[in-house]
Amino acid sequence: MTHTLHRRGTEESLRDDFVVFAIAAQSVNAKGIAPKFEEFYKIVRKYNPTNTGDMKKGNLFVLGDEAVGTGMLDNSIVHAVFNDEETVASVLKELKEADLGLSIVVSGIIHSIDQCCKKNGMKMHTVERSLGIWGKKEVLPSEPVLEISTMCGHGMIPFNLIESLVEDISANRISTTEAATTIARQCHCGIVNVPRVERILNVMASK
Amino acid sequence: MEINKEKCIGCGLCVNYCPMKCISMKEGLSFIEQDECVECGVCKNSKICPVDAIYEPDLDEKRNLRKTFSNPLVSHSSTSVPGRGTEEMKTNDVTARFKMGFTGIAAELGRPGTGTRFWDVQKVAQACAKNEVEFEPLNPVTAIMVDRKKGLLEERFLNEKVLSAIVEFIVPDEKVKDVLKDLVEVSKEINTVFSLDICGVVDDSGRPYFEKAVEELGLTYSVNGKVNVGLGRPLAEVR
Repeated sequence: MTHTLHRRGTEESLRDDFVVFAIAAQSVNAKGIAPKFEEFYKIVRKYNPTNTGDMKKGNLFVLGDEAVGTGMLDNSIVHAVFNDEETVASVLKELKEADLGLSIVVSGIIHSIDQCCKKNGMKMHTVERSLGIWGKKEVLPSEPVLEISTMCGHGMIPFNLIESLVEDISANRISTTEAATTIARQCHCGIVNVPRVERILNVMASK
Repeated sequence: MEINKEKCIGCGLCVNYCPMKCISMKEGLSFIEQDECVECGVCKNSKICPVDAIYEPDLDEKRNLRKTFSNPLVSHSSTSVPGRGTEEMKTNDVTARFKMGFTGIAAELGRPGTGTRFWDVQKVAQACAKNEVEFEPLNPVTAIMVDRKKGLLEERFLNEKVLSAIVEFIVPDEKVKDVLKDLVEVSKEINTVFSLDICGVVDDSGRPYFEKAVEELGLTYSVNGKVNVGLGRPLAEVR
């Protein structure tokens, strides 16, 4: 499950798109670790994430902040989305000091994450890269649709929903913010970067 | 998923809430093409239907298989992990699943947003198996393999369609290039797409081994990726 990995876009488009999440190893340290997820959530929410979610419960736009941050389980996977490298560095600093014992993973531009680690006297432990999409690529939609859809690694944002929302924005039936929120609600984990979605939708709707 | 025809009012709102584009309007009512439906639950979970006409019927073994691979709210029985995959590198700081000298590779068929039949999953698994890879034991695809040395899946599932399925394995660093070359070839033979990822422990140079292998083959990796920052405890030995 590489749910935050294959986000598409140029370096410019991805520069303000980071996901920080916590997970426990079911075979090693998961038993009784649920309260640590709540501590994790208390830390990340101090830094005003643009989206949050627990894979076992749902996301900020469906459940609201309090429900996301409570009732964690030992096999929760808790996410927070941020828009800049500086904030991610601050979040990592506090997570390091908290020493929760949870595995912490950051998705974003690798060079930026490396810098965040170095600022805090940390080293990247394991790195995962996307080698892109292979195979029958002619079945895929336009790149902007992919940039939005791949923000949910579980494929819960249908291509045709995005295209339909762009038509609605162009026809002034809904606002870009409403469309972006509709899209964010689809992603159970809460890893859709809403400001980035709005930016891409605006470009699509203006064409 | 199915539509309750007694409840459906034919508004068509659900049509755009199917990643497989298998909901259409037929005789004024919504209709789900069952052979294309992957049981992902997006239509129902979106709560877009104003009269709650979308429902999940009792699922037999094959439809349940579709659901397990398509609906991320389901934790697979072999992994306890919600979603259709595994912990892979996300917990590598405490599991040491990927040690120095080994590389993890995963081909997620059907992603993004196209879906896959298991016969294409098998083609990719067979191509990888030629290189004596070690398929991830706690992966739902591995769980339906009948021959891990050949990458063969249970025949009765081959025509089933799912939103995505991940062929995931570990390979010694020296075999990474051979595997990638075989993936290039098999990618020309499938009727869908796959998203490919590769992972490894960062060595003393500050980079994982695989980056060099990928560059030497003339392939490209994205600027973004995923990093386990090593805060999990107890820390496992990866060297």
